Amino acid sequence: MKQYTICVFTENSIGLLNKITIIFTRRRLNIESLTVSETERKGVSRFTIVIKHEQREAVEKLVRQIRKVVEVLAVFGYLNEDVVYNEIALFKIPTPLDSRPLDMEIINREHKAYIVFWGLDYVVLQKTGTEEEIFDFFRYIKPYGILEFVRSGRVAVAKTPKGLVEYLPEELEEWEYYL
Amino acid sequence: MAATVDLLEKEGVVTAENNQKRLSGGQALMECLLAEGVDTIFGYPGGAIMPVYDALYDYMDRINHILVRHEQGASHAAEGYARSSGRVGVCMATSGPGATNLVTGIADAIIDCTPMVAITGQVASNLLGTDAFQETDVIGITAPVCKWNYQVTSPDEIPEIMAKAFFIARAGKPGPVLIDITKDAQVASMSKGFSYKKIDRLPGYHPRVVPKLDQVEKAAEMINAAKRPYILVGHGVLISEAMEEFRAFVEKADIPVASTLLGLSALSIEHPNYMGWLGMHGMYAPNVMTDQCDVLIAIGMRFDDRVTGNAELFAKQAKIVHIEVDPAEIDKIKKADAPVVGDAKEALKLLLPLIQEKSHADWKQSFRDLEPEERATVNARDFAKEGKIKMAEVVRMVSDKTNGEACVVVDVGQHQMVGARYYDFKRPHSYIASGGLGTMGFAIPAAFGAKMGAPDREVIAFIGDGCFQMTIQELGTIAQSGKAVKMIILNNSYLGMVRQWQQLFFDRRYSFVDLQNPDFITIAKGFGIPGHTCENRESLSESIDKLLASEGSYLLEVIVEKEDNVFPMIPAGTSVSEIRLK
Ligand SMILES: Cc1ncc(C[n+]2csc(CCOP(=O)(O)OP(=O)(O)O)c2C)c(N)n1
Repeated sequence: MKQYTICVFTENSIGLLNKITIIFTRRRLNIESLTVSETERKGVSRFTIVIKHEQREAVEKLVRQIRKVVEVLAVFGYLNEDVVYNEIALFKIPTPLDSRPLDMEIINREHKAYIVFWGLDYVVLQKTGTEEEIFDFFRYIKPYGILEFVRSGRVAVAKTPKGLVEYLPEELEEWEYYL
Repeated sequence: MAATVDLLEKEGVVTAENNQKRLSGGQALMECLLAEGVDTIFGYPGGAIMPVYDALYDYMDRINHILVRHEQGASHAAEGYARSSGRVGVCMATSGPGATNLVTGIADAIIDCTPMVAITGQVASNLLGTDAFQETDVIGITAPVCKWNYQVTSPDEIPEIMAKAFFIARAGKPGPVLIDITKDAQVASMSKGFSYKKIDRLPGYHPRVVPKLDQVEKAAEMINAAKRPYILVGHGVLISEAMEEFRAFVEKADIPVASTLLGLSALSIEHPNYMGWLGMHGMYAPNVMTDQCDVLIAIGMRFDDRVTGNAELFAKQAKIVHIEVDPAEIDKIKKADAPVVGDAKEALKLLLPLIQEKSHADWKQSFRDLEPEERATVNARDFAKEGKIKMAEVVRMVSDKTNGEACVVVDVGQHQMVGARYYDFKRPHSYIASGGLGTMGFAIPAAFGAKMGAPDREVIAFIGDGCFQMTIQELGTIAQSGKAVKMIILNNSYLGMVRQWQQLFFDRRYSFVDLQNPDFITIAKGFGIPGHTCENRESLSESIDKLLASEGSYLLEVIVEKEDNVFPMIPAGTSVSEIRLK
């Protein structure tokens, strides 16, 4: 199973999340992660969706189906090597008086994680990185006890302008923005 | 923009007065419909759409509203209207149950690419999400079966959204659009004067109509090099009104043609290159020859599994040219060696000059060579003239008596296949069926809609006794309209097609397919529609004459053979060359 990152640019309108996700549901595809936000262009949203699939062809077909949604402006599918991608994770770690002190050297230098909040008897650590990096850190920090852990969906930008399947609107000048 | 408004003003749509007056949302909606040239709406009122109906009262002279008897009837009638006229079909319903009743027709329209605009009322916007009386999330419910849907909550949105709706319904691959309008948006006045601008493009949605030349050139090369080329023509050719271009192409390259079920009537049955239709219950030669051709040219069709059988085995020896307006269809089922994305008409126009003039007499003859075998088994059985009347005899006789010129609407089941097989379609837009969804109950309302869309044509519906009872109440709509819809029930007192499958594949275990039917003729009479029953072969001809001679609507019930089967048949999931003649 390969991981694919699908970037969908859409108009920012109500109900669109549903219209996009039902395309995955109908094909019984599990969404590994999903991130949506407005882009720097007002009224244009960007969905970053991660899925796993055995067949590249099926992913290409999926991309074409997403492209059919009227409010969708452009869709790109990428393999991991085509994109620069990251997630963000927050770890809430207990720090009672008698506990083993956190090794900030390792946390900062080796894992590039940081404390972003000091509570009375806990801290919140933030780690950005790929899924593997985050889980490496998870394994490292686990013995300290994890009170809460949350991981965001993936965000990704392409290394090349060309995706796995791409559908750019015909009038390019309007869409140079994407290139 | 100014130019459009000028034009609309000239046509009396956007009057200076309307531009001054503050129209209500309901009135604005009526103006939009007029601006789009809508002359007929099929609908049913209710609380959440009442302000629109109130506005409609003042537009009755310009917009013909047809009161159906069930909202499913409205959506199927809109489909029939669209399919016979090539225009956008419009239907309307109230919120909640009204809207959900439209859904079957909407789902039918999306899969058969029928342009439709459905308008639904919705509870007032301050009540949205509160489980208010008759509130349903119709946007959520219809999202998977609509080409586009949108909820309007302010009258000011109405002109732009309706323009978008009609554009999307028609553009590229046509389909249904649903616009849900909250009650307050119907009642409130617009904050500015009414103006309307038709849309011909949208930022994210501009389907490629004119194909890329390099794609067309590659297709032409492949076609020119073919020894045994073969064309499958689909609904797309009818949708894009490409019949003339198609015929010219077929004749220049002299290629045999078979049609899909919905492609029926795209080429006249009399054309020497026409070989019949293919698919699960299609004809023998067109199916078998799919495995013989070297280049398969698929035009405006989507390799539905009822056409391909086992798609992997389907035409696996052939190179495939696929002309199709929807890029998502390319390679979806069959990998295309030469895809051409674009409207069929535009594609054929570009293709025609690049095609070499050829003659494929021997290759065409190889199709004809297979016909005697089919005639000797299937046709001989269908016209054996023993026992009860067969569906085939009825259809063939109607075909002869109407000279193949009628617009035939069918429901779903054995009669649908027999209708396709034995009616000799000579004119385009003459076979209206629920293809992709296979919706029982389609025919009565769709036939009515077809008559409204093509009032000058003789509309004849072939309907199974099971199907008839699914939308029987629309007889009331037909009667009230005074339009002449000719209906023929092919009554075998069975859910025939299901019974056939049970016989062939479930060891004759006839599980719940036996129908105790009502007296259809008395029911029709109760609605004010005359009719009679024909039970024997001797009176069949006279019976059909009576139906055809009737000035208004008429119902003919023909008692047919109970356990008749439709052949040929490709068992589901097998290859087209495993087609069975008996
Ligand atoms: C709404 C709906 N329900 C069920 C079916 C399954 N179905 C397909 S054909 C058929 C039988 C149709 O019987 P009838 O109308 O008597 O026509 P016949 O096959 O006898 O010509 C059934 C039940 C369907 N297509 N649509």
